[in-house]
Amino acid sequence: MNRNKLFFKKLLVFLLLASAMNFSFNAVYDHWMYYFRLARTQDKQFDAYHDTLRYLMLGNSHNRVNPEILGNGFGYIMPKEVYTQTYYKLKYILEKTGKKPENIFLSIDPVNFSPKAESELPFDGYWKKYLDYFDLAREYHDPRYLLYWFSGNFFSYVGNYKYAYMSLIFFNADLSKIKNGYIPARDYENFARLPNRETLGYEVAMAYLSSYSKTSQLGDTKYYLKLLALCRQYQIRLFLLRMPLTDEYLKYAGKMIDIGKLDCEIIELTRKHCNNFEVFDFRNEFRGKPEYFFNADHINPEGVAIVTKKIKSILDEKGKVKH
Amino acid sequence: MLFNSIGYIFFLPITILLFYLIPFRWRWALLLAASYFFYLLWRVEFVLVLMTATLVSYFTALKMGEIRKKKQRLKYLLLTLVINLGMLIFFKYLIFFTGTVNHLAGIMGSGIRLPYYNILVPVGISFYTFQTIGYAIDVYRGMIKPERSFGHYALFVSFFPLVLAGPIERGRRLLPQFHIDHSFDPQLFSSGLRLILWGMFKKIVIADRLSVFVNAIMSEPDYFHGIQIGIAIIMKMMMVYADFSGYTDIAIGSARLLGFKLSPNFNRPFSARSISEFWSRWHITLTSWLRDYVYFSLPNKFRGKISNRLLQLNLVITFVLVGFWHGPYWSYIAFGFLNGLFMVFANVSRPLMTNFNRITRLESSPRLLETLNISVTFLLVCFTGFFFGPHSLNASFMMIGKFADLSHSGSGILELLKFNDFILGILLVIFMLWFEYLVSVKSFAGKFLSKPIIIRYAAYLLMLFFILLFGVFSNQKFFYFQF
Repeated sequence: MNRNKLFFKKLLVFLLLASAMNFSFNAVYDHWMYYFRLARTQDKQFDAYHDTLRYLMLGNSHNRVNPEILGNGFGYIMPKEVYTQTYYKLKYILEKTGKKPENIFLSIDPVNFSPKAESELPFDGYWKKYLDYFDLAREYHDPRYLLYWFSGNFFSYVGNYKYAYMSLIFFNADLSKIKNGYIPARDYENFARLPNRETLGYEVAMAYLSSYSKTSQLGDTKYYLKLLALCRQYQIRLFLLRMPLTDEYLKYAGKMIDIGKLDCEIIELTRKHCNNFEVFDFRNEFRGKPEYFFNADHINPEGVAIVTKKIKSILDEKGKVKH
Repeated sequence: MLFNSIGYIFFLPITILLFYLIPFRWRWALLLAASYFFYLLWRVEFVLVLMTATLVSYFTALKMGEIRKKKQRLKYLLLTLVINLGMLIFFKYLIFFTGTVNHLAGIMGSGIRLPYYNILVPVGISFYTFQTIGYAIDVYRGMIKPERSFGHYALFVSFFPLVLAGPIERGRRLLPQFHIDHSFDPQLFSSGLRLILWGMFKKIVIADRLSVFVNAIMSEPDYFHGIQIGIAIIMKMMMVYADFSGYTDIAIGSARLLGFKLSPNFNRPFSARSISEFWSRWHITLTSWLRDYVYFSLPNKFRGKISNRLLQLNLVITFVLVGFWHGPYWSYIAFGFLNGLFMVFANVSRPLMTNFNRITRLESSPRLLETLNISVTFLLVCFTGFFFGPHSLNASFMMIGKFADLSHSGSGILELLKFNDFILGILLVIFMLWFEYLVSVKSFAGKFLSKPIIIRYAAYLLMLFFILLFGVFSNQKFFYFQF
């Protein structure tokens, strides 16, 4: 009996130690994770933003429209953001901050609608601030969302060694470069100078598009539609973006999915639920010009400048927005 | 329910707690209920198949137990074989036989086309079918007495640590354990926790991390060639090992937490010096099952004398069955056939190899000879990996063709080195093999357990947080569940 008691005492000590370590790891990760630091900087800048909010950039890192070039805008994108997260962030902005954007830029590439995108809610350590996981669990009748809440609050570092490593590399990153929420596009590499562009194009296409499993069927669009409904409710105009992609990425993406068909379906779907949108298609803008890319699916600062200036001139020319 | 799921984190402690709290006479009922709950979370319909297998083997064994003469017991053995194997064939192999008949009919120009039925294979059917058949044969042979208690027998078939993917237990080893009142044993409990931790490490960190890299290549082999394919095959075999042995460790560890001892399934297979030794170290409960119930049952005498040729033929037949057990595809049959062939070749060429070793003086350097043997065995095992996984022979041969194209080997390796998961995977595999070697040296475990508690706890915590940080937490199924 004494032997058992001693065992349970030791087990308890071990569990307490493990819990304390977990608490520390979680706190350190939440504080130092590079993306969280970026996002918190954006949050602070957004709180301090009191100009006219003509343009708000939402969505994932593909949406690289520079609000400084465009004027009166705020960049509020987060790497790997999915529409579910965008919806809750916009809802939070509209309901809790009292700020209302006139126009929203949102990327609508097939990658945003992939079956994989619907099933993942990355970085819940940050998103716990915006997302209502209980609402999501009810909506989908899926307790997995409660798990996201749980991991966001207590285990946000779990399985994220890559981001922990990245955070170490960017430990001294200069966050003052973030202006109006815009995180400068990465420039420490140039895709044109990379020898293995084919492999990189394949890898990225594979990572984000293979979940379509050759059926070219859109994944879950529930929260995209909710996003459209929210924009309709608050009379916000949507600027839907197709940002430039490299030849290599498009080559393999084309082998995995029917891009044209998916594009059509996305537009059809949007048209059914929204009557105040425009599409800016720059997907083929830099074909044969790898020098404007950082990697297979992200443009670099030079590319961002060109695309944003084009958007600005289109908006100015067409007089779509009265300045 | 998966071992690597959140559900299991709750299920296991609750089951253990209740198990030790309730009186001994109700424990079997608790475990049976827990096991069926564990199993029916996959699909409720699957439970019917499990129950049928249980009922048939239970009642036929009881009948056999009542009959003294072995010959008269045969009809009951045949009955259980027909029903249990029939279910296995129906669920798992019908599509294979239909496809083969249709293919042959097509070749012969016949218009016959059997309809395809896409039937869901009940998870674990290959494992518990073999377990029930093994039990029935043991009763038939008079090696064990039939289990009288239906509840205990149903638990033997459905026991949650082993129902999904083994180890394939024998009645004589596991059934008596259900009748023993297990008081809480801290030592066994600790060893169970350690095994679960190590199993989780192998599954969540090594196998699932490797699968990111392996699947990227295996799913689209057109984009890869030569050395990349070769490395992917080696990594695939490592992944399968980490996955299945990880599963087994969690299964054995979970059973130990309840005071039960399950059979080991792996014993450092990649340190085998021959293919036959490899199979005595890999999926041990399957190979020993086939050895005892198939290989030894095949005719081996010709004109009253044991025929060496028949023994070799039996070996090939047994290994073809090993392959076929894994999957209803010709590629798996080829996998088994190749393994059998390698063994026959090793047996036949043994005198030649002994001479070769003497002439080349390899005999006088046993370490070098052992290293050579281990390396050759490892490469042969990896070669069979071309047939382990793909669902057609064409896919296997296409992969071999791609592997043979070595024109871009240098740049191929450089490209692989840019995969973070690849580099991490290699380091983890080396660590796994090294650590298992250490553990196999008996003094290591003893030395470690005699270290101060602070050192042991530090090691466990390091392992735990390594799993948490480097693991892949997407509830990936265990590789062997498909079998």
